[in-house]
Amino acid sequence: MAGNLWKPYSRVPLLGWFFGALVAVTLERLAGAPLAQFLGLQKIPVLFGFSDMLKTPVSIPNVLLYLLAVYVVPAAAVTRLGASPANGIAAALYRFPMAVTAAVHLALLYAVLHVWAGASDYRVLVLRLTLIAVMLTLSLNVINGYMGEFSCSHPGFMALGAYCASVLTIGLFVDAELFGAASLSPALGRFLFPVALVLGGLLASFGGLFVAIPSFRTRGDYLAIISLAFLFIVKSLIENLEFVRGPRGLSGQPDWADLPTVFLWTVLCVWSVNNFVRSTIGKALNAVRDNEMAADAMTVDTRKTKIAAFLFGAFWAGVAGGLFAHVMRYVNPGNFGIQNLAEVLAMVYFGGLNSVYGSIVGAVSISLLGEALRPLEIFKWIIIPLLLILVMIFRPTGLIAFRDLDVASLLKPKANPGEGG
Amino acid sequence: MAVFLQNLVNALQWGSFYALIALGYSMVYSILMLFNFAHGDIFMVGSYIGVGVSMALIALSAWGNVVLPNWLILVLTILFSMFLTSFVGMIVERVGYRPLRNAPRASAAITGLMIGIILETGNLALLGARRVSFPSLIATATYDLGGVFVTNKKIMIVLVSLLLALALHQFVRRTKWGMAIRAMAFDFSVVPLMGVPLNRMIALTFALGSALAAAAGILFGVAYPVLDPYMGILFGWKAFVAAILGGRGSIMGATLAGFLLGFTEIFVAMIFPSTLRDLIAYSIILLILTVRPHGFFGEPYSARLRL
Amino acid sequence: MTLPVLQVRNLSHDFGGLRAVRGYNLEIGSGQIRGLIGPNGAGKTTIFNLITGIYKPSEGEIFLGGKKIDGLPPHRIASLGVSRTFQNLLLWRHMTVLEHVKMARYSKIRYGWLGAFFGTSARHREEAGIEETALHLLDRMGIRHLADQVVLNLPYGAQRRVEIARALATEPGILLLDEPTAGMNPEELAQIMEIIRRVHGEFGMSILLIEHRMKVVMELCETVQTLDFGAVIAEGTPGEIQNNPRVIDAYLGRERAE
Repeated sequence: MAGNLWKPYSRVPLLGWFFGALVAVTLERLAGAPLAQFLGLQKIPVLFGFSDMLKTPVSIPNVLLYLLAVYVVPAAAVTRLGASPANGIAAALYRFPMAVTAAVHLALLYAVLHVWAGASDYRVLVLRLTLIAVMLTLSLNVINGYMGEFSCSHPGFMALGAYCASVLTIGLFVDAELFGAASLSPALGRFLFPVALVLGGLLASFGGLFVAIPSFRTRGDYLAIISLAFLFIVKSLIENLEFVRGPRGLSGQPDWADLPTVFLWTVLCVWSVNNFVRSTIGKALNAVRDNEMAADAMTVDTRKTKIAAFLFGAFWAGVAGGLFAHVMRYVNPGNFGIQNLAEVLAMVYFGGLNSVYGSIVGAVSISLLGEALRPLEIFKWIIIPLLLILVMIFRPTGLIAFRDLDVASLLKPKANPGEGG
Repeated sequence: MAVFLQNLVNALQWGSFYALIALGYSMVYSILMLFNFAHGDIFMVGSYIGVGVSMALIALSAWGNVVLPNWLILVLTILFSMFLTSFVGMIVERVGYRPLRNAPRASAAITGLMIGIILETGNLALLGARRVSFPSLIATATYDLGGVFVTNKKIMIVLVSLLLALALHQFVRRTKWGMAIRAMAFDFSVVPLMGVPLNRMIALTFALGSALAAAAGILFGVAYPVLDPYMGILFGWKAFVAAILGGRGSIMGATLAGFLLGFTEIFVAMIFPSTLRDLIAYSIILLILTVRPHGFFGEPYSARLRL
Repeated sequence: MTLPVLQVRNLSHDFGGLRAVRGYNLEIGSGQIRGLIGPNGAGKTTIFNLITGIYKPSEGEIFLGGKKIDGLPPHRIASLGVSRTFQNLLLWRHMTVLEHVKMARYSKIRYGWLGAFFGTSARHREEAGIEETALHLLDRMGIRHLADQVVLNLPYGAQRRVEIARALATEPGILLLDEPTAGMNPEELAQIMEIIRRVHGEFGMSILLIEHRMKVVMELCETVQTLDFGAVIAEGTPGEIQNNPRVIDAYLGRERAE
């Protein structure tokens, strides 16, 4: 029965799902508020109603009704009915160069997110932080998953990127008493913001060298400690730097990390990481992880490979840090400690090692879960760890390990129901 | 000179905590080849259990109208808490590590981290955010040794720590159980063949490590009475660093490296502004590990993370 | 006559105080198959590790086609043309058969880091070429149908073939095979010998072969060196070696002592 219901959906292309989602979120924007009122909810359930349901269990049926009426039924109907036209469009798109096809899909995805998030500022914030978490998780997966080192320095890389980008934007564009009068017009800032982020990423990459070079000679636990020491060093370095206000933190970053900016950077990150790990040069990371001696004997330059993995991972962590600073518009050294490390590690290992899919799933589910369980307050930090322990016990490499994105097959129209995949 | 000696005394006390915690890391490492990342939080739990036990003992003696001298209460607290905390360690092993014994090491590290978070949060959920302080059982007496001030507490802390480290050393050398632990550290796979009950031995190792962490927790509470649920995090990670510096699985190494870390931190704080303590201490550690990648007493072999 | 493919002169190596290899000499011409036999612990694999750069020799020189290669890092030596298999199969446990062979083309890749990150068209062209070469090699080894399998799931004989295919993908001038028949049943043995013959015949490959089984050595090798305690004690055709009293003594004497 369930199989029969599901069957028509197996030939829905990705495009069709996006159409369905777009209709659902548009419907929510148009009719969500009156519907919520009609169902006796104070306002539209912000994060799929999780917090409403947890706070007032009485409202559970109403929230579920809302979710059904706004998301599930319209999306299901449109996806189902629109499968054939969607396949037609997807097939037409598929004849264009892959870049064009991908761009159309991304634009549609962005539209869905934009409309959904437009309903409240809270959604925009959560979404931006989630996208940043995706970048962080993916970049850590390059080192911990693809190359199999247990690196603990990621919050350190993030901090380097966050502070570097913040110092640049505040110092150059914002009239903060910290650095004196702004010397450049804020109008220029929008264009130079990417430069600041990239410089932050490069500084993080430079920091990555301090972990990469010891990794030539040692692996495993000792490298974990070296990376941990690096994290402590970065954190306490920042605490002692008076010109970034030490432990009090930096505030007043310009509000440039809006949703489209964060989305674009995330796409760039996912795309480049996916490219990298699917290339033979990138597969060398796996070879170094699985057997370094064999990699060496098969002409792989293992040192170059290790450096590349650390620098590349650190770069994206730095960019993510820069974006994080401009989303929160305040950073202090406390943002980049052991707690943060535990969170990123949790996302990587929950989602799955050596996996682009897994990183996205891990980052999105842990971030959203963290937000959704907010009404449980402190118990949230019992439930999420328990969940992760269960995942580790039953799937030690994470939920979706060893899966990269195959963009071509993902965007393919699915004309043949029997084809599958 | 007096300043130097004064700091030496402080460093000895500070190093005692690291040494006791590092021993637990090292013991578990030596047989399971993995670090129990919940260990820092077991130190915290031990400290809280110590508060509970000592308050219970005080209440008990008041109720029974028996006048127990305070030093006896302290000794009993240490012993009882070590005993109770060892069960916490065994539970952690049973829940978090035994199901993952054949899984990748990194996965076990993650469960350890998560159990640590659960212990912290569980504590917060049970006791709320109010501060818990350790009852002051012995009055501080300060002795002036030619400009160097030594308190009775400091002497006690250092002595008890050394005593426990020595006891562990003797236990591992002399007893049947200790020999079994050493055999397992030497070659995990042959031990079941020799009739050693594997699971029980691993549980014992966790129990011993946790008991030492509890002792460290109580001694810490004697010196710095205000406790908080997150106190184990930084201590745990730093002791982990000490365990690695000492060479994995080496009891002597872990003890020495624990004291060494204490010395480094205290003396860095003596010479430089105290805010630079972590920065310089960890720069030194990074330097040491870059030059001597396998610690002071460890075997130079490179363990790989199994995926 | 051109230069020998591989020339080893007076090679010695010490582990701590122990001299594992002493005064070892070797010259392999183009298309020759040489055997290297000797009791366990005689230093055979150490010689392989010295030639491939895993160990740095204490004394002596190694030339590949006239170019001095001792002291270079292993991946450089490999990309110059010394390829090998390992006695205990060092495969990459999470990678597929095809990925193994593609990986061995690493040093030939020209598209660089930017190509790897941004998927340039040069990269796609090159990756397609690599894939074609790899599939072709798998075909020649008779394991093309396994291309997308993860190596861990394969039977032992197939894993050996993957290792040889991978070694050939580096386009070596000489192939070092470290006990390729270890742990094989008679059927697998016949197949792997066929593979080695084919590698020698079709690719015209020079081969240095460590082997325990006399049958394999007798059938495949033109000349054989016998190693004992790190030194060559006999050298000649398989027939000569088999009847050499010192060789017999090295094998039997060791057994008697045990």
